[in-house]
Amino acid sequence: MRSVASKLLNGVLLVLGVTFISFLLMVWFGPDQTYTLIGKNASPEQIEDVRRQLGYDQPFWQRYGEYLRELATLDLGASNASGESVRALLARTVPVSLLLMIPGFLLGNLLGIALGLTAARHRGRWGDRVVTVLSVTAMSISFLVVIIAFQVLLSTPYGLDLFPVRGWQVDGFVSYLQYVTVPTLALVFVTVGYNTRFYRALFVEEYGKDHIRTARAFGAPERLILWKHVLKNSMVPIVTRIMFSIPLVVISGSLLLESYFGIPGIGQATFEAITSGDQPVLKAVVGLTAVAFVLIQTATELLYRLLDPRVAR
Amino acid sequence: MSATVLSVRKLSVFLRDGRAEQTVVDGVSFDLAAGEVLALVGESGCGKSKTAEAIMGLLPSGLARLEADEIRLGDVNLARLGAEAMRRVRGRDLSMVFQEPMTALDPVFRVGNQLTTPFRRHRGQSRREASNSAEAMLRRLGMPDPDRVMRRYPHELSGGMRQRVLLAMAMACRPQVLIADEPTTALDVTTQAQVLEDLVRLGQEAGTAVLLITHDLGVVAHYADRALVMQRGRIVEEAGVGDLFRAPTHDYSRALIAAARGLSG
Amino acid sequence: MNGRVETWSRLKGDPAGVAGLLIVGVFLLLAAGVWAGVLGQGWADASGGRWESPGAEHWFGTNVLGQDIFERSVYSVRTAFEIGLVVAVLSTLLGAALGALSGWYARTWVDGTVMWLKGVLDAIPFYLFVAAVAYALQGRPWAMHLAMVATFWTTTGRLVRAEVLKLRGQDFVRAARTVGLSDARILLRHVLPNTSHILLVQGTLALVAAIKTEVILSFLGLGVQDGVSWGLMLAESTQEVPAGHFANFAAASGMLFALLMGFNLLADALQDAMDPRQASL
Repeated sequence: MRSVASKLLNGVLLVLGVTFISFLLMVWFGPDQTYTLIGKNASPEQIEDVRRQLGYDQPFWQRYGEYLRELATLDLGASNASGESVRALLARTVPVSLLLMIPGFLLGNLLGIALGLTAARHRGRWGDRVVTVLSVTAMSISFLVVIIAFQVLLSTPYGLDLFPVRGWQVDGFVSYLQYVTVPTLALVFVTVGYNTRFYRALFVEEYGKDHIRTARAFGAPERLILWKHVLKNSMVPIVTRIMFSIPLVVISGSLLLESYFGIPGIGQATFEAITSGDQPVLKAVVGLTAVAFVLIQTATELLYRLLDPRVAR
Repeated sequence: MSATVLSVRKLSVFLRDGRAEQTVVDGVSFDLAAGEVLALVGESGCGKSKTAEAIMGLLPSGLARLEADEIRLGDVNLARLGAEAMRRVRGRDLSMVFQEPMTALDPVFRVGNQLTTPFRRHRGQSRREASNSAEAMLRRLGMPDPDRVMRRYPHELSGGMRQRVLLAMAMACRPQVLIADEPTTALDVTTQAQVLEDLVRLGQEAGTAVLLITHDLGVVAHYADRALVMQRGRIVEEAGVGDLFRAPTHDYSRALIAAARGLSG
Repeated sequence: MNGRVETWSRLKGDPAGVAGLLIVGVFLLLAAGVWAGVLGQGWADASGGRWESPGAEHWFGTNVLGQDIFERSVYSVRTAFEIGLVVAVLSTLLGAALGALSGWYARTWVDGTVMWLKGVLDAIPFYLFVAAVAYALQGRPWAMHLAMVATFWTTTGRLVRAEVLKLRGQDFVRAARTVGLSDARILLRHVLPNTSHILLVQGTLALVAAIKTEVILSFLGLGVQDGVSWGLMLAESTQEVPAGHFANFAAASGMLFALLMGFNLLADALQDAMDPRQASL
């Protein structure tokens, strides 16, 4: 019971920390929104009005408290740019981002695991070297270069011209495949190098452990060693890796992919909000990612309990 | 004269270190007679463990190279055996117990799961049969509640208990040869004697020859029939234990014995 | 722990590592040339024709504004090194300091605070953070550097913390404490030097990450404001490539790839040289 309470406390502290820093940077130090809303030729009363509306006349802690209340009650307001309710915006864009990012994210990890295993199994021989060289090469190519190159190679007449250049007109599975393929390939290409390095190191370490030697000493076939002993023992680090790379890959990655390919997901919405200074949207996104982070941490802990008998119940 | 159960001729092991090769075992030859306890003594790093791993076929393939005229177990030359055939020998005719019981068992599977494996794999027993055989084995090792032990995970057992489990696994198929590489070095003193007693007793009951690797001359004196002294990859002396302690012929053996005597006053 | 001599000799014997070192060396010379005012000075000069093909006067051709792509590519080497070095050094130092404190005072409020800070910084979406810092700094140029340092230190910090935890239990530390050395002295003189292998490798990796991040930030308009970088060149090229002009893209991506490859090979070789157990040889 105590550990549940302390985990909860940690989660709350985390969310508080994230919102505090974000609020501090964006809202307190951020640009004065007054003129964006009413233009330059406003009367002093109008200016006063707007300032009061935006809460500029209130002290810092009051404004921060107000922000937290808004987050807690999901009273997120409306976008400054489009007037759309932020809740509606999230409901519209988050599913798109998930549909876009999940296939590439999962594939990148699965491929990384497979390649890492291959390299670890054939450690020191040419299979390992080839995998290592390929992953170092993949790690040295910028995401941007990959996106541009894939777009040219797959979606323009200079290349194969098989897929749409940008956009997201998805109304069925086939059109989904058309629009998701190029971004997914780019995402896989960019993440597979890093994933492979990580998983290779993990499996090399697992294969070197004493209990694998014991298994071999009793005549276990290599396939059994791989599937029963190595993989099961690797589940905790693999889960850790996947869970904790979600914020980095999925959230940051979606921003770039969606901006470039014109896909109307939360990443693109965030980028537009950044460039136009659309605070309601930004505040909501920050709050949302902080909460998601905490949920991911909690889910990871639960998974550990299932996967490793050494973790106390 | 007992029959020879294991016959090793000119066994050498080379370790790759960068681009150079280091000789860690240099032309070792010896015989192991049925039912005897043969001690392999020497300091750490003299090549004892690598010799054992070589016999078992457990050398790390990329980093180590094996050369031997013969490693004869019964009438099979292990040195010429393919990987698949060797796999069938391990755990059935030839077993090994390692030094570090705390890490030798797979932490994510229950003890029962691991202990029944040799029974199922090499003796073709069903899950139920193997479970019974395993429990019987644990009882022979003096464990009062084998059923509970089988349901535990390795981290819930002490080092001594884990080593007993590993011993039970190694003896499951009544192998011709059991190699024990420093089986008690990592255990506390009181447990050491018990585990060694169990080891030797089980070996005798099953007619298994034991190759006991150790750096502890006390262990040699108490449990071994014969001893091989190893220094820097070579066997420098071979003698019955009594003869070895009374009249060692090689300087190194003499030095070892003197050092051990010095420690025990 | 491996001695410096052994590490160096292992490094020399690793062809990939040597190649990496050479590549980085060449680029470093280019950057030095730019700093010295000898190379790449004509990067802003828009005197060429529009989209000229590579030729004698403009080795890589020109972009849409008539600027020499070669000059711009070379100048970008300096930009890359500036950002890379600043971020790598500062984030590694910060990570070492906070990681050491966190590990040394493990399970106290110091550790708790640092871990909390780490969690918070890992949770904030990176591009949002950069933008927020840029806002807060009212457009001063080092928003990008600050944001990167503030987020990159966490990886180094985590690794240093783990290492310090390990070292804390070792004999030489216990000995130093019994002799009465102060915590600060033990940390600085005895513990941290033993993390140098981690710091060196992480520093190199941070350099790579910084350069890659700058590319994307500049593309998004959140990065380099004055001057030129490969990121800006790539941003330009997104308009040019659909029209069939690949020179800008090829130059920027080619040089970027070469430099990153060099650093990655070097980082790998350093890691293998310091800890041969993981090597693929």
